[in-house]
Amino acid sequence: MGDNGSVERRTVLKAAGASLATLGLATTTACGGDSGGSGDGTVEIRFAWWGAEERAKRINQTIALFEKKYPKIKVKTDFQDYVAFWEKFQTQAAGGNPPDVFQNAVAFLRKYDKRSVLLDLKSQVDAGNLSLKNFRAGVEKVGEVDGKLLGIPVGSNTMSLVIDEKVFEKAGVKPEQGWTWDEYFDALEKIRNKQKVSGDTGYFGIMYLYDLYLRQNGKAFFTEDGLGFEETDLTEWWTDAYNRVKAGIITDPKKIEQLKPKSALASGDGASEFTWDNFTVRYTTEGDSTYGLAPIPTTDGKETGQYLSSLMLSGSARTKHPKEVAQFIDFMVHDPEVGRIMGYDRGILASTEQFDAYKPTDAPNKAIAQYEEDVAAAGVLGTITPHPAGADTVEAAFLRIAADMSQGKTKVSDAVKQFFSEAESALAA
Amino acid sequence: MGTAVTTLIKDSPPDAPEKRPGAPAAVKRRGRRENLAGYLFMSPWIAGFLLLTAGPMAASLYFAFTDYNLFDSPQWIGFDNFTRMFDDPRWQKSVEVTAKYVVIGTPLKLLLALGVALLLAQSRRGQAFYRAAFYAPSLIGASVSVGFVWRALFSDDAVVDRTQSFFGWDVGGWVGDPDWVLYSLVALTVWQFGAPMVIFLAGLKQVPKELYEAAEVDGAGPFKRFWSITLPMISPVLFFNVLLETIHSFQIFGSAYVVSNTSCGPADSTLVYTCYLYQKGFKEAQMGFASAMAWMLLLAVALVTAVLFWSQKRWVHYEEASR
Repeated sequence: MGDNGSVERRTVLKAAGASLATLGLATTTACGGDSGGSGDGTVEIRFAWWGAEERAKRINQTIALFEKKYPKIKVKTDFQDYVAFWEKFQTQAAGGNPPDVFQNAVAFLRKYDKRSVLLDLKSQVDAGNLSLKNFRAGVEKVGEVDGKLLGIPVGSNTMSLVIDEKVFEKAGVKPEQGWTWDEYFDALEKIRNKQKVSGDTGYFGIMYLYDLYLRQNGKAFFTEDGLGFEETDLTEWWTDAYNRVKAGIITDPKKIEQLKPKSALASGDGASEFTWDNFTVRYTTEGDSTYGLAPIPTTDGKETGQYLSSLMLSGSARTKHPKEVAQFIDFMVHDPEVGRIMGYDRGILASTEQFDAYKPTDAPNKAIAQYEEDVAAAGVLGTITPHPAGADTVEAAFLRIAADMSQGKTKVSDAVKQFFSEAESALAA
Repeated sequence: MGTAVTTLIKDSPPDAPEKRPGAPAAVKRRGRRENLAGYLFMSPWIAGFLLLTAGPMAASLYFAFTDYNLFDSPQWIGFDNFTRMFDDPRWQKSVEVTAKYVVIGTPLKLLLALGVALLLAQSRRGQAFYRAAFYAPSLIGASVSVGFVWRALFSDDAVVDRTQSFFGWDVGGWVGDPDWVLYSLVALTVWQFGAPMVIFLAGLKQVPKELYEAAEVDGAGPFKRFWSITLPMISPVLFFNVLLETIHSFQIFGSAYVVSNTSCGPADSTLVYTCYLYQKGFKEAQMGFASAMAWMLLLAVALVTAVLFWSQKRWVHYEEASR
């Protein structure tokens, strides 16, 4: 442009315009996530949750239903698996742009309440946008923390042992309520000997299972503000685990690592896996065998340490549309048709409308219903220990360090020390 | 390669307009107006630089000295993050893993690049095709999808595992094995030798033919010719490649993150420096610590670069004329 030595005013203005346009564009993009109301009063809310394909299909159906009933509200969804979900959520929440509605769990209530991320739904209940009536006994209070209503339960679930029924049957093993850990490990050995399959996919790194074991022995994983067990407890738990991996009754940790995010149980590389009971739906879609639910092994032949946990829906304190958020949650929690579509994918349905509307006919959902009935009948259900803030980091560290230990890369004693030091700093933060 | 180009562009400022002392006022005014237009045209870039580069860097330097969990306001803690780093076994592990990756991966990649460049430097049929084919991985190599492909290739019972087993070398998949998985990442970077290869090719073309002819007359064999002519003549290009690839290697993140299925494992065996930094910052919300780690990485890379520059006096030969 220097050649003719003069620059027209027009050019300058154009350049300015272009720069402004670029900046304007950048601003628009930056705020793209924020959805305001458009001219015709239509409101868009963002709904984020964790889960797999199967859940996605069902949730999309329920949203179609919701948008039909509330044509002025559009719902945009977003999902990841559990770990990725919370990673993304944390970043969004820190940036002041969390989804309007999202799936939540007990471990995260205190953490995000402390940081003023969660919407207190009390006012919406008072305004009549959200009903707290008709919840099954035992679940209605799960979302209450320090007098605030931070989440509404959609379903309740409990820890269970998912088994490959075919393998268990062929090996001649029959799990029964009240069986002991010794009996469980004997069963795994039988399965390995007769079916050439490792019995368990790695119980020792699952925080929620270890919690049950500790509860069977009068302790717990978490107290209100710290850990409820000692280094000696964990040393014992992991030493036994290490020996069992070496003995080949637990699936080779290398194999587990490579199958991720698929489960070793679904791929036929393990015969059982401890997890939440509502996950059976997932195994049935992923794997070829038939999967059933077995009771949690016990220490004394009686107590399993189990409790009902809940998935919840929470709102963001930052949402511009608290009313619509409340209406959406209300619909998702109470509408009978939604219950029929979701089934027990997120646990046994929490509201009585949905619970009554859905009578499972397919094998996995029937099994889940039967399982929770059995557990309740066995009278083993206790109440959940509230998790302190930082619990999620502790859980991740537990899983990771247990995996290192099982690979033989860390000595058990070092692994235990490392876990305690990481847990302490996470809980102190 | 991309970095090289942008660096060159960034480092060479546009020619400043010539100053004309004593020019009449009208001309001065015109000059000012011209400048104004220039700045206006540059303003998107300047705004981008300030908002997206300089600003975040300044903020991260501040965070490095604070305890910052993304939600509550940062608390000044001085050098605590830096001292804590050295006591953290996982941080030490990440340094170890990264060092291993750089020390093994970079020389292998450069050796392969140089070797293939030597082969391709001679004119023969299909040359253009081979050059393109060898360069292609460098173009696509950084993408996440290649990471996924790599994970699939090196998994248990996948192509690599089966080939190995066929030759009686049974280690199982590399991806799940803490002793092996890092080498799959090394293989991934070595496979992307195309970019340094192209630079080597350019360097080889610059070596005067007369030197080889003269050496041949004197009875020098191919090895001697390579050692005494080729290597010294391309040493500036070699230096450039060593520098660039080393810096690149320090920054490995994507491939480690994807191949390990976002865990940087198993058993922290692919816990490269940036992966740990990411975990600290975004998984554990310790942004202050993560920022301190980032500045530490910058210092380390600067140090290595300085050492390389210092060493070039001993082995890089510039022609007298071009000095």
